[in-house]
Amino acid sequence: MKIDRRIIFVLIAISVAIPLIFKIGLPNKVTKEVKMVYDSIEELEQGEVVLVSFDHEASSLPEIKPMAQAILRHCFSKNLKVVSFALLAEGTAIGDEILRNVANEYDRKYGRDYVFLGFRPQYTAAILGLGEDLHRVFPEDYKGISTSKLNLTKEIKNYEDISLVVSLADGDLPTYWINYAEARYNQRVAIAVTAVMATTYYPYLSSKQITGLVGGLKGAAEYEILINKPGMGSKGMDAQSVAHVVILLLVVLGNVSYFLSGKLRK
Amino acid sequence: MDIGILTSALLTLFIFSFLYKDNPFYKFAEHLLVGISVGYFLVIAINTTVLPTLFLPLFKEGNLLYIIPGILGFFMFLRFFPKISWVSRISLALIIGAGAGVSIPAVIEAQIMAQMKASMLKFTSFDGIVVMTALCTTLIYFFFSKKHTGWFGAPAKVGTWFLMVFFGATFGYTVMSRISLLIGRLQFLLGDFLHIID
Repeated sequence: MKIDRRIIFVLIAISVAIPLIFKIGLPNKVTKEVKMVYDSIEELEQGEVVLVSFDHEASSLPEIKPMAQAILRHCFSKNLKVVSFALLAEGTAIGDEILRNVANEYDRKYGRDYVFLGFRPQYTAAILGLGEDLHRVFPEDYKGISTSKLNLTKEIKNYEDISLVVSLADGDLPTYWINYAEARYNQRVAIAVTAVMATTYYPYLSSKQITGLVGGLKGAAEYEILINKPGMGSKGMDAQSVAHVVILLLVVLGNVSYFLSGKLRK
Repeated sequence: MDIGILTSALLTLFIFSFLYKDNPFYKFAEHLLVGISVGYFLVIAINTTVLPTLFLPLFKEGNLLYIIPGILGFFMFLRFFPKISWVSRISLALIIGAGAGVSIPAVIEAQIMAQMKASMLKFTSFDGIVVMTALCTTLIYFFFSKKHTGWFGAPAKVGTWFLMVFFGATFGYTVMSRISLLIGRLQFLLGDFLHIID
């Protein structure tokens, strides 16, 4: 039996579109690794600084945005200060927009409660440089204002003034955070990565080199449950589950048809 | 309708049209993406890196030390001229030397020592035994100086099973990731563009 691949594309499109239009409300459980990220932010005191790094490209926005929104909402709801930047150029404008929008939801003021520093290439040098002097790595923020003049960043010298680093990534940049910030400066690092990268980082979770792991849209949906603020992650989970069932059925169908055709040939 | 949303929706549909078959609309959107990405990177790099970390300290603050990285950076552009392209090797040598010097100790510490330590510590628990078995048998599988037969073949075979479990988990996550991207695009098309969903 041979199915035109375009029929499969249509099936997948329908299986994603229908649950988006007609909500099913399938249950979603919070996993330990997502709870660990939540706890590592939850245990911070008001006014402590969280560094959020947008280490991704534009193509992974559907996965990164819900995770970023959920984590930033948690930070701002706890009155934490957020310093943010991008280590990949395409994450710059995206990071700036997400940070600004979430900060506005909580009436946070730029320069006092949050700062966006823009893009810095050569991530190894940037991550290492932050361990020495933030002002040398980022003399100015994204708007061109001196970081020595902004209320929030003028108080920050290096990792000693940063309580937690959160890397939002779609590639292997969290490895650099682990290699240079965690191993060298004992900086606590939590990561939120696209699902395709999640398995790469489980070993670091069990070795406690990262404080937690949020993986893809499902991770975002779990985080939204924890902060009790449904967002893009929760909205997409029904579609994700239905699409997975359809893919499983297609895999079974493919295998059954393969074995049957093999038997018939014999 | 917002022109940005309309453009974005059209470009999404152009890209999706490839699922039917290759066509000029897809090609247009693909080339546009490549061009814009490069242009965007250049502007961001110049505005947030070249200007504040080289030009401003050098020309506005008069810090002459910045001439050295400036010249080394300039050397990299000499790769475009075959006769003097060798000069760029000076900058490359510095990047490679410094890069290796910085990364080797860090990688040994974070990737080898920390991971080995974590595997050893858990040896007393069931999870630890599974981790240790997976680690040893997978390493045996990747030992190619002895044929995978007899007493050496059995653990190598077990190693392949663990590898298959890893590949399966990774593939599952990959499917999840790709479906998430589709969900994102459909949320945009059905929501922002067609206003069918919130």
